[in-house]
This record gives sequence, C-alpha cells and structure tokens, in this order.
Amino acid sequence: MAAQKSYSLPSFMNSDSSLPWLLPLITMLIVFAIIPFFYNIYLSFHEFVPAKRALLFVGWDNWIRLFTDGVFWGSLKVSLYYTFMCLLIQLVLGMGIALLIDSDDPGFGIIRSILTLTLVIPPAIAGMIFLIMEDANYGLIPWLLKSVGLIGPEDTILADPTLALWGVMIVDIWQWTPFMVLILVAGLRSLPSEPFESAVIDGARPFQVFRRLTLPMLHKVIAVAILIRGIDLWRMVDYVFVLTSGGPGTATYTLSLYSWQRFTFVQWGYGATISLFSLIVILIVGNAFIHFAKVKW
Amino acid sequence: MIRKILAFSIALIFIFPIFFLITSSFKNNIDLFSIPPKLFLFDIDFSAYERVFGFSKLLKFDPSYGELYLTSRILDSLIVGIGSSSLTLIIGIYAGYYISRANFKYKNFLIMSILSARMMPLISIAIPLYFVYEKINLLDTYVGLILIHTFINLPLAVLLLKSFFDEVPKQIDENAFIDGASKIKILHKLIIPCAKGGIAVTFILSIIFSWTEFICALMIGQMKIKTIPIQASIMKTIPSWDMMAAFTTISIIPVFIMILAVRKHFVRGLTLGTVKE
Repeated sequence: MAAQKSYSLPSFMNSDSSLPWLLPLITMLIVFAIIPFFYNIYLSFHEFVPAKRALLFVGWDNWIRLFTDGVFWGSLKVSLYYTFMCLLIQLVLGMGIALLIDSDDPGFGIIRSILTLTLVIPPAIAGMIFLIMEDANYGLIPWLLKSVGLIGPEDTILADPTLALWGVMIVDIWQWTPFMVLILVAGLRSLPSEPFESAVIDGARPFQVFRRLTLPMLHKVIAVAILIRGIDLWRMVDYVFVLTSGGPGTATYTLSLYSWQRFTFVQWGYGATISLFSLIVILIVGNAFIHFAKVKW
Repeated sequence: MIRKILAFSIALIFIFPIFFLITSSFKNNIDLFSIPPKLFLFDIDFSAYERVFGFSKLLKFDPSYGELYLTSRILDSLIVGIGSSSLTLIIGIYAGYYISRANFKYKNFLIMSILSARMMPLISIAIPLYFVYEKINLLDTYVGLILIHTFINLPLAVLLLKSFFDEVPKQIDENAFIDGASKIKILHKLIIPCAKGGIAVTFILSIIFSWTEFICALMIGQMKIKTIPIQASIMKTIPSWDMMAAFTTISIIPVFIMILAVRKHFVRGLTLGTVKE
C-alpha cells in the first residue's frame, strides 16, 4: 500500500532518464537548426572573392550592402505584400466557403475530399500547371481575360511587371484556400450548437451571430491557421521559381528566391545574409504571434 | 439546394486545374496549342507517356523524338520520401511520447524550439548545409537529402504524435507501471498498438511533405538525385507541354491515393495536431 501511495505519474516520468527519449530530436535540432544558424552568421561576415578563389572576412559589408540594396528592399516588399494579401484573401474566401459547406449532408463530405487534393500537389508542379494555363500565347487564363476584355489583346500576365505577382498569387490562392476551408470547417464542426440555437431564439441576425459567437469561438483555430499559413507564405519560393524566376526584371523576387539567386551567383555571403534576415524576421514575428494569440500546443 | 449547387461549383473551380493537367497529358500538340483551348473534345494520344518513360524506344525502335526516362526520378522521390519518413517516425515516436507524458522543466521551451524549427525559411538551412555537406561528402547523396527532409518533417511528426499519444489514457501507463513494466516496454507493447492509426497518418503525411519539398531538394541534390518537383521545374525549359503534363500526372497520382487514405486526419496534420476533425 505504501509503495502505491508514494507513486505518482509525473515522478516516474520525471526520472533522470529524460535524455535517451529526447536525444535524437535534440541532436537533429542542433545539427539542422542551430549549426546552420551560426554558420549563416559566419557567412554573413564573409564573402567569396573570385580573384582569390576564397571565402574572406569582409566585416559588416554584407549587412551594409543589404540595407542599401534596392533589389533587397523590393524583394522584402514583394514578400510582405505576397504574405499579407494571400493570407487575407485565403482567410476571407476560406471562411466563406467553410460557412457554406459546414453541414452534416454527405454531399459536402465529398466536397471536402475534393478540396484536400489541391493541398498535396507539390507546389512546383502546381506552378507548372499554371505556367501552361497562364501562357501568353496559348494559355487558358489570358484567353479568358482577353475575351472578357479585362486585358488588352497584346497583354500578358507573367511578363507584365504589375500583373506578374498576381499571376503567382493566383496559384497560391488556388492551392491553399482549401487549407483554410478544411481547418475552419473542422473548427466549425466542433462548435457546440446550444449557443447558436438560443441566439436564433433571441432574434439575432446571421451576421450578428457570426460576429459575436462564431468568430470568438473559432479564435484558436483561426490563430493556428494564420500562423502556419503565414510561415509558409513567408518562405515561399517554389511558385516564383517555376513561374517567373523573379522576373520580369526583379518584380517578383521574394526574399527566399533572391537569397537563392545570389547564392547561385557565387555571392555566398550575401545570399546567406538575406536568408538570415528572413529567418530572424519570421522567428520574431512567429513567436510573438504565438505569445499574443495565446496559441497552445 | 442552391447552397449545394454553389458548393459544388466552387469545388469544380478548385479541381479544374487538376482536370486540365490530366487532360493535357492526353492531348496531341495541335489540340494543346489551339485557341480557344480545347477542354473536352480532343483526340486522345498516349505518345507523351511513351516518350516520358522511354517506352516508345522499347516498343517501336523509333529514336526520332526526345526520350526522357523519368522512372528513376520517381524512384529518387520514393527513396527519399520513405527513408526520411521512417527516420522521422522513429525519432518522433520516442520524443512525442516523452513530451506527451512527462512534465519536465524545459518542456515549453522545447515545444517552442520545435515550432521555431518549423518556421525556418528552408533557404536559410539549405545554404549553410550546402557547405557542411560539401565538406563531409553528403552533397548529392540519398543520405544527405533523407536527413534534411527528416529535419523538415520532425516538427510535424513530434507534435502530431504527441497529440495522438495524449488521446491514449494515462491509466494504461500507470497500471502497467505498477505491474512492474519498464517505460520502454510500456511504449512498445501498449502505447504504440493503441496509437497505430495516428502513427500511420504521421508516416503518410511525412512522405507527402517530403514528396512536395522543393528548395532543399534542389540544393542538396545536384546531378544524380532529382526529386519530382525538381525534375518538373527543369522540364520548364523543354518546350513540350504534353510530356510535362504526363510526367506531373504520374507523379501526383500516388499522393492523391495516399491523402484519400488519411483524409480524416489531414486537418490535424496540417495544424500540427491542434485542430481535430
């Protein structure tokens, strides 16, 4: 009896042998997150010098170059615009569609299954599909837009400095709006029905119900969806790589793509500096978001 | 009724590009480049598939047009996907179980570190890793790519498995512990069988995310190893839409089958175990 009384779950798991359970995970985190992080810092103070064929210490040069480089500021603007616009459109569209298909009817179950399909297509391949569909001469989308008269007969999408980014964003919106739909539907399906019934009895209008009941109750689900989608939008590189390679000119460079492109131009230090900047921004913003939105794991 | 029609037309919009891709792979070059685009009425033509996999050379002995032999690309993706998912699962099960059951001092810090790892822009890992791999000869090897994909999938696996283990009643552990079983034995003999479904879901989701990963596969794989997304992006330079469509059609069918098998848990996977369906 005495032995049973002294026993409690936390203490047996809390024994000093936690290391073997977590060691592989912690090793992976150190090798693939901590070491690259410090290596990035090291690289950001060095640069490959072609004349000497070596990586040499250059002090703060890369960082000074970063903050005076117009292309960098342009790519930062593109990344921010892309992240916020896609997030906003996907959230609004996703919420609309989620409210539409939130039902027990088995027909809507089929729709949810269909919507999962876009999410597992490799983004690079989704880019290829839209590359065909947005082709200037034979593509479906320019043809549609031209026949409706939205763009002129000589206009293109992906080669146009102002339209190119939207040509990329449309792929993201197509592929990832279902992400929002599925998460929000799952959230909606898990809500209790009593508050909604009593609100209807009290004569609340649908919009009031949505504002005062649905949104606050979905707060956690929406926060998680925004967090994960935001992370992936910020580091997106596949679509621009396939569709525009950053062009026309530098109109669709995102931070990740610009960093990769500098790397291939053997400006290793500068490429690493850009990626480090992008990493620091998302770590601060992401962790602050988790803290303030009170997302719990 | 109106609601249903509206919902189905939205679903049609989302499925249309996939339909367009698959039909494009069966079009000949005349139908492919016709204006207005032919969506339904076209002559079915399998030559793209023959050329992509090099069948026509075997069957017809006709070397007149380009052949690509892309079977090995799909094999690359499979090796990397299954290899990295297996490794992810092994690491994830022990870590996920421990995080699920234990209360230790740095638990919150560990979870935040895992989430921070999920946030890292992959390019910021790939550039330093390129130099590290170059020094230790892991560039362009399966092992190198499997390791980095394992790291990419670990946050998903650990947190998702934790959420599945949370659902297994702690009473099971307690009873077995009182009976004198060791912790490792409890996990192997009792908890893993209870969480079989969750483990299978994690495995499949890891394969899918390895299958779709782009930038690390691009930088770590060089000449020998090209996963499917890399090969697709290279085919951009070959002005042959039907071959591109045939290759991508073949490459997305396995993921479609996999995802329909685990559809019920997909949302949970996407949200790292926080939102259940």
